[in-house]
Amino acid sequence: MTEVKKGAKKKAPAVKSSLSPKRIRIAALLAVMGPGVIAGLSDDDPAGITTYSVLGAKYGYRMLWVLVISTVALVLFQDLGARIGVVTRQGLIGLVRQKYGARSGVLSASALILANIGTMTAEFAGIAAAGQLFGYSRYITVPIAALTVSFLVLRGSFSRVEKVFFVLSAVFFAYVIAGFLSRPDWGQALRGMVVPSMPFTHDAVFIATATLGTTLAPWGLAFIQSYAVDKRLTKDDLKLLRVDVWTGSLLTGVIGFFVVVTCAATLNKQHISIQDASDAAAALKPLAGTLAKDLFAFGLIGAALLAASILPLSTAYSVSDLTGRPAALDDGPREAPLFYGTFAAITVTSAILILIPGAPLITILVLTQILNAVLLLPLLLYMFGIARDRRLMGDYAATKTMSAIYAVIISLVAVCVGCMLWFTIR
Amino acid sequence: MARKIVGRRDSVLARKNIRESLVSVAGLIGRPVRDNDGLDIGKLVDVVVRHGEETYPPVSGLIVKVGQRILFVNGARISQLTKDEIRLSSTKINLEVFQRRPGESLLDADVIDHQIVDVDGLRVVRSSDLYLAPFDKEIRVVGVDISFVSFLRRVFPGAIRRRPTPEHVVDWASVASLADGTGVVRTAGSRAALSQLRPADLADLIEDLAGREQGALIELLDPELAADVLEEMEEEELQGLIRGLSAERSAELLARMEPDESAEVLRDLDVEHRESILSVMDPAIAKQLRHLVSFDETHAGGIMTTHILIVRENDTVASALDLLVQNRERDISDGVVVVDGRGKLLDHIQVIELVAAKPSALLSTLIGPPYPTAVRLEAPLDEVIDEFSDNRGSSIIVIDEKNKPVGRILADDLVDALSHLADRRIFTQGTGGLS
Repeated sequence: MTEVKKGAKKKAPAVKSSLSPKRIRIAALLAVMGPGVIAGLSDDDPAGITTYSVLGAKYGYRMLWVLVISTVALVLFQDLGARIGVVTRQGLIGLVRQKYGARSGVLSASALILANIGTMTAEFAGIAAAGQLFGYSRYITVPIAALTVSFLVLRGSFSRVEKVFFVLSAVFFAYVIAGFLSRPDWGQALRGMVVPSMPFTHDAVFIATATLGTTLAPWGLAFIQSYAVDKRLTKDDLKLLRVDVWTGSLLTGVIGFFVVVTCAATLNKQHISIQDASDAAAALKPLAGTLAKDLFAFGLIGAALLAASILPLSTAYSVSDLTGRPAALDDGPREAPLFYGTFAAITVTSAILILIPGAPLITILVLTQILNAVLLLPLLLYMFGIARDRRLMGDYAATKTMSAIYAVIISLVAVCVGCMLWFTIR
Repeated sequence: MARKIVGRRDSVLARKNIRESLVSVAGLIGRPVRDNDGLDIGKLVDVVVRHGEETYPPVSGLIVKVGQRILFVNGARISQLTKDEIRLSSTKINLEVFQRRPGESLLDADVIDHQIVDVDGLRVVRSSDLYLAPFDKEIRVVGVDISFVSFLRRVFPGAIRRRPTPEHVVDWASVASLADGTGVVRTAGSRAALSQLRPADLADLIEDLAGREQGALIELLDPELAADVLEEMEEEELQGLIRGLSAERSAELLARMEPDESAEVLRDLDVEHRESILSVMDPAIAKQLRHLVSFDETHAGGIMTTHILIVRENDTVASALDLLVQNRERDISDGVVVVDGRGKLLDHIQVIELVAAKPSALLSTLIGPPYPTAVRLEAPLDEVIDEFSDNRGSSIIVIDEKNKPVGRILADDLVDALSHLADRRIFTQGTGGLS
């Protein structure tokens, strides 16, 4: 160890004001696996990977800009969610009830539940697809996954297995390597990122909307805010939390980018369109050859279980915030019926949906992400209103410039959803 | 919903005429406001109440939307208030532009759906609805509904929304509203309700509240109770709370807390904030706190508690016991510290020795081995640990440079200090000296 470092160590007590024990624990936690990174990796769940794969396989590099915009939106709104949570110390749904009244509270809670039933269905679809790659029927894999996840979370032993899921989902970093190995046309990729162009067709608008919906997932926004409230993070912790949120959000974008690029360089070049999960796995062939299938399946299962564990819990937490104080696992079902009701509704409904005979998995995966985008709109508008409220946010209220940027993003989501509806009813 | 209502016999809700005339505020919003002849003037936007020394705050006015304008109608002009409409007493009404005034809050904007403290159930909830009734010559807020069913009722249109559900209403006196439209609201009812609670319960409640409401709740408490509550709070929570309070209020509360706990809070604030608080504090207490803050927690002075009971050697056993009884609230009075005429440390005498001695005996007769272990204020933590392990006692006395006792270190103070330090050491090792 050098002299300088020794000196720094001796001085430690003098800087105590910013580094109390709790803060140090939070710093350590956020650095390793903060809520932002968890939300980021969970965004690369089966629905995310499939949507990005379809985007790359079908449109090559030209629609990468949609992913860029989605990532920017994710960074900004996750950051806002963290800020609202820390400053107001209330969950999103509770705040909406307080600021906008009973109807808005119920509307936003319903939007969240509906969107999350969709996303949860997508997680189970991913597990079913991965199971099928190994030759197991979804009638076995999905119920087992649903029961395992509920058991782990409700018994409170989730934190122990969380890391396992985390490592499993890290398999998606394989896409980063695969991206390089597939020798993409970097020039075109760069062009696709900065020059917005897309065919104005039903399919293209659909996949653009799904990309927005899967990246900027409603549950992630509520999750980051609940996390800040539940862990009682203070304004002093905000800097660390923001580092974590930015890291996680950018991670989502980077992995998404490589998934698109890999698929563009392989599937799109050979004009293969994605029919099921094994087609998406085929994009990994240049990296792992025949191992690609297994690698892909493990990644899918890991990310799906990670998201499926957090999602019902975080939703139940947010929704029970309607009553004034978010309930948590230490309350019994009798004390917190809304908490357990939401938890059960999400897990059971989505498991049943996926078990309907002949349910098309890839279609479900993409459709649920479109649902996400639609339901995202009211939630983003509420967050926008809260962000600008000086009585709630004090000095942390959004500036005029930031408000304008939020407004632009919300308008983009609205345009996407509007176009899509137009194509659907036409 | 079967819940106990505090003081049901005294509750105004128990009176039949009041129970029958309850009007739901959530249902009333949006209803027509009419003049004497029944002609529409406008629609009700909100109800303004005045907080004062009364338990049930009276309605001081209405906010009415007339055409496109939002206007204020003085509460004295209300002649009739039912669940369907509001009648004003004259046809000629003086309408004023509404301005928020201190000590008033808007029931729909500031109270309904906001967090309130359910004193009965010891939890933070959101109010689903409020109920008005004529009582004691004015229309007042008498009840509050905290049930989730009533919240859902409000989602539906028209008649369902306005239907009162008195079975869910609890007395306004059994909750504490922290709504503050303008800043400081001191509702007598809320204050009375909260002061029944134990400091530890209040501390838990505060930790469940949002930032602004935390401050509001503290404002509602008597300073003495507030200081007790603060002592019960988690260190980090407490610091967050102090950051949100004014320097004057912080000073008032910190001065009433145990000095070592106040010092700990102050030590973690930045210098500017700390000075702003100390400068408005009672100079004597500020001086003592400054002294304590100057020791960091790697020295005896930084981890000691300053609450010791000091008696002179020529005092009697009875007076020492008296002193102990007077201070029985403090959990540290397991004995007294005996000093000589110049205030220098002589001995620490256990309660059991005092009880066994004759009440009229002088304390000097009880002085003898084993003598207490003492360390200087500036003794490093390592020395304190050594003294503890050498003597196997439960506490040691801290003395200043003139040998006068200034505090004690209990075994648990030491455990706190060590766990703080352990955390920091792990961090500096793990990150290669990030600090």
